[in-house]
Amino acid sequence: MFSKYARLFTISWQAGLAYPISFALWRVRQIVATFMVLTLWTVMYSDQTSLFGYQRNEILGYIFLVSLIQGTVMATSLNGLAHEIYSGNISQLLMKPVSILKYLAVQDVADKMKNLTFILLESVALFVIFQPRFVMPSLPHLLLFIVWVVLAIIIHYWIEILFGTLGFWSPQTWGPKFIFFMLIEATGGKLFPLDVLPDHLQRLVYLTPFPYFSFVQTQLFLGRLDQTQILNHSIGIGFWSIFLGLIAVRIWRKGIYDYSAAGN
Amino acid sequence: MLKITAKYFRIWLLTATNALQQAFINRGTNILFILGKTIRFAMAIVFTLLLRNNVRQIGGYDSEMLLIFVLTYHALETLAQVFYRGAYQFGELIRSGSFDGLLTKPVNALFTALTGHPDINDAFFLIGSTSVTAYLMTTSSLSITPLSVFLYLLLFANGFLILTAVHIFIMCFTLLSSDVDNIMFAYRDVSRLGLFPISIYHQVLQPILFFIVPLGFMFTIPSQVLVGVTPTYNLLITTGFGIFFFWLSLKTWRWTLKKYSSASS
Repeated sequence: MFSKYARLFTISWQAGLAYPISFALWRVRQIVATFMVLTLWTVMYSDQTSLFGYQRNEILGYIFLVSLIQGTVMATSLNGLAHEIYSGNISQLLMKPVSILKYLAVQDVADKMKNLTFILLESVALFVIFQPRFVMPSLPHLLLFIVWVVLAIIIHYWIEILFGTLGFWSPQTWGPKFIFFMLIEATGGKLFPLDVLPDHLQRLVYLTPFPYFSFVQTQLFLGRLDQTQILNHSIGIGFWSIFLGLIAVRIWRKGIYDYSAAGN
Repeated sequence: MLKITAKYFRIWLLTATNALQQAFINRGTNILFILGKTIRFAMAIVFTLLLRNNVRQIGGYDSEMLLIFVLTYHALETLAQVFYRGAYQFGELIRSGSFDGLLTKPVNALFTALTGHPDINDAFFLIGSTSVTAYLMTTSSLSITPLSVFLYLLLFANGFLILTAVHIFIMCFTLLSSDVDNIMFAYRDVSRLGLFPISIYHQVLQPILFFIVPLGFMFTIPSQVLVGVTPTYNLLITTGFGIFFFWLSLKTWRWTLKKYSSASS
């Protein structure tokens, strides 16, 4: 059983590199986005030593880490899932002797691993240019950081599945997806740390899963969370990964039950 | 000349009307798109206002000035997306062979491909964001004179001309290599460097962001003039570059079209 998913992982990896120029441009886009933010913050600290409670090295380290984590978590092969469902292309997958959710999960992991490989290479260049400083966290915190990143990947996977399920009932799927991308851009913490926002806005943001994609992980790594916050965020990230999973599976099953396709 | 302009305006009006009708068919989706753009615009304003409350200066510009740069960037980019959304779908036109049909029509193919899908969402968004922009600019503590406003509008138009040329260059690239989907979005990501004055970036970057990817001429110079800062390049160089860049884009388009061979239609 494991070998077929391992084979799928390899095939997905290769398929993702079938259009190398497109992939290269995608990576260029990610580097430029990170470069812009790092440059902006570098310039902002040219006239002051502390801003929003962060020193220069701290903010650069923050942006560096959050870009790395978000770049991995948000990389996905499931962007076109709703279209695949609505167009009937998913019928082929339904006839295969594999769990379709596992199939999609393996594809997604392959895409994330592929992007992570390139992110690490790109990070070397950005590291040399901007020279952020990190203090490695303690072993327990490092292990918790890895667990939180894995849970963020799981949360993102379930959200992508939820968006995919829209395809069971409607061809209009890009509207909600666009809102999601905009909300991530606004509340994901890549342009600025979320703790610079006023308290009432922060409380609003923490009602959503978006801070758990990369912000809380970065804060943990940088040692900016106390024990209470670590506990609260552990509960939060655990809650969202389970809650979204239950919702996604339930809606997916309803969609599959209602699904019909002709002519394939 | 006037007759030709009127003809193309009528054609554009027809495509815009069609786009408006399509928007009303997919009301829910379009409302969500407008909402998303509003969220993005609002967060840019929130971030700039946060800077205003916490930062005295960035690269010699105070926060009031930075707000003008952010608003100018959003206004120009939104205007380009209203008119030139067709450039985003150009790759699909090539791959499907539909572009061949455009070449046979008695209308300039570049015009049709570039402006054939006006984005009504951005048009609605532009109305709201322009109002917010005008309000923020008029309540700014900067001393803005009628002359600076006039020059700003002139340079804004020049910036739009350069932006047009950029879209044409991207379409040329797509024409030569139709499997490239990300080129337009790659430009959009790079152009975000124009949110803030190009002159604050590293000296190695500045010539690139003025003369290769001319974000400086598009976004920085008009804003510098409006806020009363000596522009990085004078008006003659800026407008001259704009006209030259646009001319070069048209030349490149004609050359690229000669190299084009259809895969299917």
